[in-house]
Amino acid sequence: MLCVKVLELLPRFIENDFSEAEMEEIRRHIETCERCEAEYRAMLSLVDRLDQLPVVGVPSSFKSAIMHRLSKDMQGEEDPSS
Amino acid sequence: MSGTAPRVQTDIELVQDVLDGHEESFAVLVERYQKGLVNYIYHMVRQYDEALELSQEVFLKVYTGLRRYDRHYKFSTWLYKIASNHTIDYLRRQHISTTSIDAAGDDPDQPDIPLPSPEQGPHDALQMKALFQDTLDAIQSLPESYRELIILRHFSFRSYEEMAKITGLPIGTVKNRIFRARRLLMETLEESR
Repeated sequence: MLCVKVLELLPRFIENDFSEAEMEEIRRHIETCERCEAEYRAMLSLVDRLDQLPVVGVPSSFKSAIMHRLSKDMQGEEDPSS
Repeated sequence: MSGTAPRVQTDIELVQDVLDGHEESFAVLVERYQKGLVNYIYHMVRQYDEALELSQEVFLKVYTGLRRYDRHYKFSTWLYKIASNHTIDYLRRQHISTTSIDAAGDDPDQPDIPLPSPEQGPHDALQMKALFQDTLDAIQSLPESYRELIILRHFSFRSYEEMAKITGLPIGTVKNRIFRARRLLMETLEESR
């Protein structure tokens, strides 16, 4: 398999999105090609980093603020004068 | 060992509870999904206070629309579909340039990125923090249709199947866009080195 083809298939390869035979063919190429192996490692490292990106926190008052707004809305619906 | 741990209610059971008049069950659903949802919306709009407000509005929409919820879909899929529509409407209303990285630096309420790990030395930790910031900036530079999928995948950990249902795209398109987005991210990060 040519490098240009392997490089194109790498994103799917990382997600195991091929048949076992296709996976094996790409794997064999990567093991013997320095350039494709470097690209494979770089892409793996990116996916790994994406999964580890820091997340923002949620204030402890978030849930109670929603429940408060809900009960206010419900009261508004029940009160014909409002 | 005596006694058993209380059984965790499924989303569908909680929805039914709410429809039966037990409003407190909605609080359990909020608790279950608030973190993923706030992070999804925050990384779409890049303004923390706006993200909290939009997230609250999404939960309120979900509550008022609960009778229309089709149980053939996962509750989380329905929730994220509402969130996706609401957030994209907001972005269009605000005329935020979806390919701009300016917004990130403008928001005084933007939470600071924590240093990755206390076990790392300060130099390594700072380097990692810079790498995270570069990655977040690179995500912001993606076209909106790619950016949303990357956020759903890597901040809210949705499956490809679920992302297809949330966005209304065929699963093959979702995968292709994720793969192209990662390729673009690699190129952007390579250029910024």
